[in-house]
Amino acid sequence: MSTRILLLCTAFAAAVAGTGCTKQPLDHISQDESRIYITNFDSTANFKSYNTYTISDSVAVISDQSHKMESGSTDQAYLAAVKKYMQQQGYTYVARTANPDLAVNVNRIYNTTSGVISYGDYWDYYGGYWDPFYYGYGGYGYGIPYYGYSVYSITEGAMSVDLLDLKNAAAKKEINIIWTGLIRGSGIFNTSVADAQVQALFTQSPYLTNK
Amino acid sequence: MKRMNIVLTACILLLAAVSAKAQEGGLKVDLYYNYSNPVGSFKNNYISNSSPRGVAGDVMYNINRQWSAGLYFGYQDYYQKYPRSTYHTAPGEDISAVVSNSVQTAPFMAKGVFTPLGNKLSIVQPYISAAAGVNFITDKQYLGQFGTSNTAGRFIAQGGAGVQINFGRLSDAGITLGAVYNYAPYNRFGVGSLNSIDFQAGVHFPLR
Repeated sequence: MSTRILLLCTAFAAAVAGTGCTKQPLDHISQDESRIYITNFDSTANFKSYNTYTISDSVAVISDQSHKMESGSTDQAYLAAVKKYMQQQGYTYVARTANPDLAVNVNRIYNTTSGVISYGDYWDYYGGYWDPFYYGYGGYGYGIPYYGYSVYSITEGAMSVDLLDLKNAAAKKEINIIWTGLIRGSGIFNTSVADAQVQALFTQSPYLTNK
Repeated sequence: MKRMNIVLTACILLLAAVSAKAQEGGLKVDLYYNYSNPVGSFKNNYISNSSPRGVAGDVMYNINRQWSAGLYFGYQDYYQKYPRSTYHTAPGEDISAVVSNSVQTAPFMAKGVFTPLGNKLSIVQPYISAAAGVNFITDKQYLGQFGTSNTAGRFIAQGGAGVQINFGRLSDAGITLGAVYNYAPYNRFGVGSLNSIDFQAGVHFPLR
């Protein structure tokens, strides 16, 4: 009898081992599936009222509360993609000195500290890396008229695109951020994927058009 | 040293008592493979996939030939990945992500079993069971590669039925086939419960 029980238990243990214990979610997603796209917009903004925009020829690289401007091939790919989709949405690129309605900031963010990031935190950490004077509004601050990103800890880098309202800056005496897009996940700092990442942000923001 | 001796003596006496009960025909072990099917809001709002990754077991004391009581334990892993979709998460905010939900449950319950044909020498013994206790839950949700996790202990109750097929009329060992319904309240991410219907197949044998 004890031999039979031993065999039964062995068969049971083998069956249990064969089923595996726990399926780890991160082992079952591809690089593309690892990415998330978060967009926010100011619900009071009328995106059809803007016609022109300007964009820097470099990207702000933000790392642990410091920043610098860079213009590598990946940065250029992101800037080109932003220009492409802004144009597709009906906005016209003009030089910074031509009194544009909108300014576009493209940022590459690295954060080696884990923690919580909301949009407010993001600007608390990094606000001012684009000096308002750069857009001809020296002395003004930035305003965030909407609630920020959902809460997720940053363990890797991110790309973000900000749309700033220059058209109403003088009247409001601050440069409001009217749209933000954040890209996070594996393999985003790559020239070959830049267009698809920016396209994803614009695709999920159908209100972002002046047509 | 004196205190150690007292503890050792107590342990030996306890083991002797358990051994005596077992020899009286009292203790029995069941080990199951557990296949779980989420139902209700668990299935509709969180994980609709059935889970083939589960085990369970119990140690039962035979009060008489029809009634037994003991402790039940188990472990089940649930997982589902949903295709990329855009979620409206707050006014003005949208998130596009592949969502993966992962839940592990480990119930620990007091259990009673009634075997209506227990007084007869029958190879096939149908049974019904009821259990209640604590469900230890680990719940993770990933948006892409970014996850949040929660652990909790919640009430769980279980009702079940099945058959035990012994190896012979006089044998207390054999195989067990059954099904249970788990009532498992839980509230997170819009999930009202982790209820499930499970199918179990396993072995049972006396401890002696």
